[in-house]
Amino acid sequence: MKNLNLILAGVFFTLAASFGGLLLSGQVQIGQLNRAPAEEGGPLFPPNEPGLAIQGRQVYLSLGCVTCHTQQVRPAGQGNDIARGWAARPSVARDYVLQSQILIGSRRLGPDLMNYGARVKSDNELHAYLRTSMAGSVMPAYGFLYTQSKDGSFRPTEDAVALVAYLKSLKIDYSSPEAKLKQ
Amino acid sequence: MSQSYSSRGSVSRIDDSISVPVRLFIFSSLIWLLVASVLGVIVAAKLQVPSFMGECPWFTYGRIETLQRNAFIYGWASNALFALNLWIMSSLARFELKSSWLPVLGGVVWNLTLSYGLIQVLLGQLNGFALLEMPKEVAPALVVAFMFAALWPAVAFARRPTGNVFVSQWYIIGATFVFPVIMVIAQLMLLWCPTLGAMQALVHSWFYQNLILLWLGGSALSAIYYFIAKESGRTISAYYLAAVGFWTYFLFASWTGPATLLGGPIPVWLQSVGVVAALMMLVPTVILVVNFVGTLAPRNGIVQSWNNTTLRFVLVGVVGFTLSALLNIAFSTRSLNALVHFTQFSQAQEHLAIYSFVSMVIFGAAYYILPRLTGSFWPSAKLVHLHFWSCTAGTVLFVVAGLTQGWAAHGRTDFAFSALPGLLAAALLLVGHSAFVLNALGMLTAESAPSNRRSY
Repeated sequence: MKNLNLILAGVFFTLAASFGGLLLSGQVQIGQLNRAPAEEGGPLFPPNEPGLAIQGRQVYLSLGCVTCHTQQVRPAGQGNDIARGWAARPSVARDYVLQSQILIGSRRLGPDLMNYGARVKSDNELHAYLRTSMAGSVMPAYGFLYTQSKDGSFRPTEDAVALVAYLKSLKIDYSSPEAKLKQ
Repeated sequence: MSQSYSSRGSVSRIDDSISVPVRLFIFSSLIWLLVASVLGVIVAAKLQVPSFMGECPWFTYGRIETLQRNAFIYGWASNALFALNLWIMSSLARFELKSSWLPVLGGVVWNLTLSYGLIQVLLGQLNGFALLEMPKEVAPALVVAFMFAALWPAVAFARRPTGNVFVSQWYIIGATFVFPVIMVIAQLMLLWCPTLGAMQALVHSWFYQNLILLWLGGSALSAIYYFIAKESGRTISAYYLAAVGFWTYFLFASWTGPATLLGGPIPVWLQSVGVVAALMMLVPTVILVVNFVGTLAPRNGIVQSWNNTTLRFVLVGVVGFTLSALLNIAFSTRSLNALVHFTQFSQAQEHLAIYSFVSMVIFGAAYYILPRLTGSFWPSAKLVHLHFWSCTAGTVLFVVAGLTQGWAAHGRTDFAFSALPGLLAAALLLVGHSAFVLNALGMLTAESAPSNRRSY
């Protein structure tokens, strides 16, 4: 333990071991997943994101929404994500294969958004929520995403429209080979 | 708190040779500490009053919180650890730095790159991975700057005139090796040639745990060993275990990543591997606590440490480390993790690691190093007291509020919590840090007379 090379070799080994054991084996198992049909011959899931949703994703990313919102639903045995009605099934690796950068998050100051598109009722409801926030909520109003016209009504900017399209596209309302929706 | 400096008004030749880079690192870390503390207050205020500074996309909670976290980890903690590692290693290895312009260059590039990256974040160019939010072009510059700034301890170790070795040196070598490796791999696999979907979560968890536990934690553990032995004048108790502690710490810590993703979209067996590694962290934790507490506790040592400025901070750091390690072990088990995952409880766990443990140790070390580096006294003892009590109260408040509120949130479906304790804690930390920075800047700018310098 007095030789620099020996210490460096040892530390290199510890890092290499965890790199191989966790990242390489993970890569082998889930690094090459493709879209898959829920049942033989059916349509492929997850569905492609609409173009507007991809733009909205950038808005979501740029505003830092991931700081307070996760996009992952844990299985029923691990926390109460499903019991509280966020989704009918847990999120699995295949749900993320189309995302260039996943926004899985690690902290919930607000609800999980993995299946938000299936929960929200209408565009207008979402716009109203983004513009004014909700009483008692810790989420601020994003008023700068809206402009006020002369007659006093609010018009969403391009960013707001894209963001809403993105939020509405967040759905895991399909069965995947790894996680079936409950019958 | 007694001020016991053996060499008042004199700077050793070794300290003189590393004086410029160490001063630069400490000065930069102080500036970043102030920036991060102010941002911390804003972040906490935004939780209390959500509309606060909400008219402009620059100041969304997400961006400010990201800035705060990055300024704290890369600005404050990393700069300070560059200084600490270099100083401790030089003094242990009797190393005189000949070309001090190299680490200075590294420090300048590091801080310029960081400033650029954070401005980009403020303007909205950010990624979704914690502590990798800065644009991807920042990473190569950070790694190169790190090589120039932080690899000198390895040189010092290789060139030491005697064959002696102390446990602190292993931790410094290990921590310094880990940072560039994980940074390069994570940036490659997340930003430059992204892996597919959920793999990114796995890569990120691996990077994150290594960064916190090995780069920050490893460096701070080295400082605890050094200052406990140095300031108490005792030999480390059960020192024969230290090597086992070092290797098990590095071996298991780098496998704990998946334990932070329990229930996430990664293979269950990988999650279980992470949990096992997290449980195995009990081995190094017990050894480290035996080393630290076993050295300080006997013969009234705790009281003596309490009366020594450096050891008083280090003591809080040891408590922070112990609590953080034990909580991480316990709450990596599936059943407990399910209750507190994603809540303020996890925030408090992280705060324990990066603040109560790492930052407190850095403060303690600064109180030892700066007088020796500058050859002058701390300008104000009152500010030292203010710093200690304000920061200790702040961190205790933050941790207690986070743990209790996070625990109380389990099973509920609303997100209600009181932001007031967090705001108060952030304000206390800001006060403490301002006192520290004021004191330290006074010292860094007061030039000791050349005639006071002696060489031996």
